[in-house]
Amino acid sequence: MDLEKTATSRRRFLGACAAALAAGLIRARPARAAMALLASAGPHPTPRPGITADKVLTREQLADQPNAIPVFDQVREIPEVVDGIRCQCGCADHPGYYSLLSCFEGDAMAKSCPVCQGQGRLARRLHKAGKSLDEIRSAIDARYG
Amino acid sequence: MPPRRLLSRVALALAAAFPAPAPAQVRASEAASVSQTVDGTRITIEYSRPRGRARDSLFGKVVPWGEVWTPGANLATTLEVTKDVRVNGRPLSKGKYSVWMVVRPETVWTVVLDPRAQRYHTERPDSTAEQIRFPVHRSERPFSEVLTWSFPAVRTDGATLAMQWGTSYVPFDIEVRPTYLLPFPAQQAAPYLGTYSWEWNGPPPDSTMKPMTLTVSYANGTLMGRWEPPPFPEWETFALIRIADNWFIPGFLLKGELWEVAREMVLEFSVRAGRATAFEVRDETDKLMATGKRKP
Repeated sequence: MDLEKTATSRRRFLGACAAALAAGLIRARPARAAMALLASAGPHPTPRPGITADKVLTREQLADQPNAIPVFDQVREIPEVVDGIRCQCGCADHPGYYSLLSCFEGDAMAKSCPVCQGQGRLARRLHKAGKSLDEIRSAIDARYG
Repeated sequence: MPPRRLLSRVALALAAAFPAPAPAQVRASEAASVSQTVDGTRITIEYSRPRGRARDSLFGKVVPWGEVWTPGANLATTLEVTKDVRVNGRPLSKGKYSVWMVVRPETVWTVVLDPRAQRYHTERPDSTAEQIRFPVHRSERPFSEVLTWSFPAVRTDGATLAMQWGTSYVPFDIEVRPTYLLPFPAQQAAPYLGTYSWEWNGPPPDSTMKPMTLTVSYANGTLMGRWEPPPFPEWETFALIRIADNWFIPGFLLKGELWEVAREMVLEFSVRAGRATAFEVRDETDKLMATGKRKP
């Protein structure tokens, strides 16, 4: 068996899967992979009392990233949950970072980072399914940690 | 204090006061580093590279027999690991260590890893309980002018780290803690066994792909998946590695050993009354890639 060819085929297939469903995000993967190597496991943050989604980027602010609008809308629904999650893509060590919610504010790494987006979608999906914050944290650790 | 020792102390103080990046400067032993990641554990050697400069008998003369020597120059060579590992079978905690070798005429040398990482090369450490010491075997290789650290072999569960200078070649093994485990309890496998449909959520990634089924079986203590027809001829079977209750990611095997894990897709099974009835496949962004239902 040609191992390199095999690996390429698998990667090509997985890339095609992702590309078919998340057009554009696949380009961010190399940078994300490099950051993930730097990511250090840490505790999930405690949601800040009274936290709101006021700083989450709006549809207008995402005009250059229209594919990201739905996940920003989803996160906007549950700031008190997303604020209790540590992002696993490596951005948690950035200055000014507090929680996954930070990835959807300001410079908003989630505009192009598939891991930030994935965690946001997963958090909202599990919250909608009635899962607790601790259960959501565990699922995110299993999936992205 | 002897002049050489005083000079060493001054050099160490200066090195501590003015850490890298250093200004442009030509050095007899230039700084270098080499790093390897294995299953999420990053292993890094930082060192300065002395050159042979036509000196004969590097070991036994330039480096006297019996000397506790750092395999490098200037500041002591360091080894940093980002997670706990085993080095030649001995546990080594996550952290940064200065690296020393006791060189001998015989083929067995001793490696010393000292948690006091920042030391000048003449600041040879005394023996302490915190050090990790283990024997290594020196062998002969074609001549290398510059002292070189490398990772000549990388496995899914570790790597070989090696130092060479002159004709002396000293490898040792670093074993990482595996993130993914293949063994799956037989009694927990039963709910998943069977054949499922596989329906892409939208058009298939490749327009030439035919409708597929997924068959889950249990073999050699591992939960296995098999696509029919496979999306690529060589992608016939894969291990289903559990990452959470009812959540699995595919792991590809080579000669029975885990070779690559595709975290880009997660299979989430729905279990009703002790039996998996369906699954969803989600990509890295948690978007739905495909769904499946158990076939009668």
